[in-house]
Amino acid sequence: MDYDPISVALKFGFLAVLYLFLLWVARGALKDVRRTAMPASDATGFHQVAAVAPQPAPDVWLVADRGGGLEPGERFDLIGGLSIGRSADADVRIDDRYASGVHARIFSRDGRTYIEDMNSTNGTQLNDATLSGEAELIDGDVVRIGDTELRFEAQA
Amino acid sequence: MSARNRELTALVPVALLLTAGFAAVFAQEGARIDDASLVYGAYFLAVCLAAHIYLRVRLPDADPYLFPLVALLTAFGLVMIYRIDPDLARDQANWFVLGLVLFALTIQFLRDYDVLERYRYTIAVVGLLLLLAPRLPGIGQQVNGAFLGVKIGPLAFQPAEFSKICLVVFLASYLREHREVLIVGARRVLGVTLPPLKHFGPMLVVWGASMFMLVFIRDLGSSLMFFAAFLALLYVATGRFSFVAIGMAMFLVGAWFFASTVPHVHDRVEIWLDPYAHPKGSGYQILQSIFAQADGGLFGKGFGQALITIPGTDNALLPAAQTDTIYSLIVNELGLFGACGVVMIYLLIAARGFKIALIAGDGFSKLLATGLTAVFSIQAFVIIGGVTRVIPLTGVTLPFISYGGSSIVANFVLLALLLLVSDRARREAGAEARLGGLALEGR
Repeated sequence: MDYDPISVALKFGFLAVLYLFLLWVARGALKDVRRTAMPASDATGFHQVAAVAPQPAPDVWLVADRGGGLEPGERFDLIGGLSIGRSADADVRIDDRYASGVHARIFSRDGRTYIEDMNSTNGTQLNDATLSGEAELIDGDVVRIGDTELRFEAQA
Repeated sequence: MSARNRELTALVPVALLLTAGFAAVFAQEGARIDDASLVYGAYFLAVCLAAHIYLRVRLPDADPYLFPLVALLTAFGLVMIYRIDPDLARDQANWFVLGLVLFALTIQFLRDYDVLERYRYTIAVVGLLLLLAPRLPGIGQQVNGAFLGVKIGPLAFQPAEFSKICLVVFLASYLREHREVLIVGARRVLGVTLPPLKHFGPMLVVWGASMFMLVFIRDLGSSLMFFAAFLALLYVATGRFSFVAIGMAMFLVGAWFFASTVPHVHDRVEIWLDPYAHPKGSGYQILQSIFAQADGGLFGKGFGQALITIPGTDNALLPAAQTDTIYSLIVNELGLFGACGVVMIYLLIAARGFKIALIAGDGFSKLLATGLTAVFSIQAFVIIGGVTRVIPLTGVTLPFISYGGSSIVANFVLLALLLLVSDRARREAGAEARLGGLALEGR
């Protein structure tokens, strides 16, 4: 069998270019993997639904602390969940220029209560930390939207 | 570098590879290195550039690597098919262009791909009808014992290629809506988490559909491909490994039962288990495929060097070289390194696809990207696994490389959907990052 030098050169050239190209693409992919690997914990909301039997739900309220045109001490029953925002459609209507129409919602799942930011423009602060996605609420948590503060209360 | 400039840069080495491949094939065929390889390379680059410019206008934020990787697969296919038969390569090039046209049309008309969710039952029915079509009298065609093709007048195609997209779209939208009930309603029985019976129905339907394909269409490969993609989606949607294990057990039991009762499936499995029983008969194709790969060695024999027909005759040494065993031909000519290169292209496409699913914002986009990527990668696995005798050899095409219009066109539609999801996901992720950056600066 004769080996044509041109054809051998082309074969190795082809393999070399192929691998360099794949390496370049893989490098970009690896960089992305490192970037997305970190904060994905609640980015998806997948796998978060716990399959425990529903426990008897405790009584839960949202209590107005200050701002938002609400009477301090005003209590909102959280059974079934509610929405907070500036629009007339929101269950808890707050008069706050930093609040979005439907700013956040509170809902219960398996006897626990969660708050979720509804992609609001200025974000929701939960105990002075910016809320991303959803988080569980526990007794005494303070939710701040703009200048409005609300306190979460739970009684077993 | 912006995403589209990255894509443009990546297309250059791809066109270079195609040119080098054609040049090598020409050099082998009577040592006439003329300008033809350059012309083909330039033509290929021009077609890719047209698609690239379209993407630049329509999907500026879409994943930059997917299209060049797919173009590279197509380049592999064109060179190899040209080397087998120049006429087939001309057909394949036409299919490539037609595929790109459909790719562009999909992007044009499905920009708001949420529409797919609304028509999911229609899409599911269309998918099932497509699967059934090869068995319908008058239009169905039987190829090597399996009912794969449909012929309506002059138009012949393999409906399974299109129906895989329909089924993935349906499953993604169905699971998006029902995943919570599947998880919450789950019960533990004897330490195994079982899905709720009420929502188990669709699972049984999909299982039934893939068993049906085994029996009536006799298409082992597509059956495996569909069911594996379904399990991948189910796992991503629910996060329950037990569901996947149950599904696998159901598939294995069903496959075992039909492998022992349906003659065609039985034969395929027998050949797989012992190809040496009839080396010149039923085991010929798989044995020649393995010999060809072994013969390639580390670096292969070079482009155009593989023997496809027995010298002096028209008898095939490597049967179905342009479709089923094209991977073996690549391994024979480019060796283990070339083979790893091809497998790596598929792996990188899978990685890009799953990354799109990771960054996508809503459940449907996530599941759609996962399902499309899964069905594509599993298809590559089924045929590469087939010719390397990891699993029984079936008539599934090697996506974008094998000769075949349906395969190329359907996979370009699949790619278009992936890029649509990618464009929206990356645009939203980018906007979020910019907003986050501004908010931090303001503090």
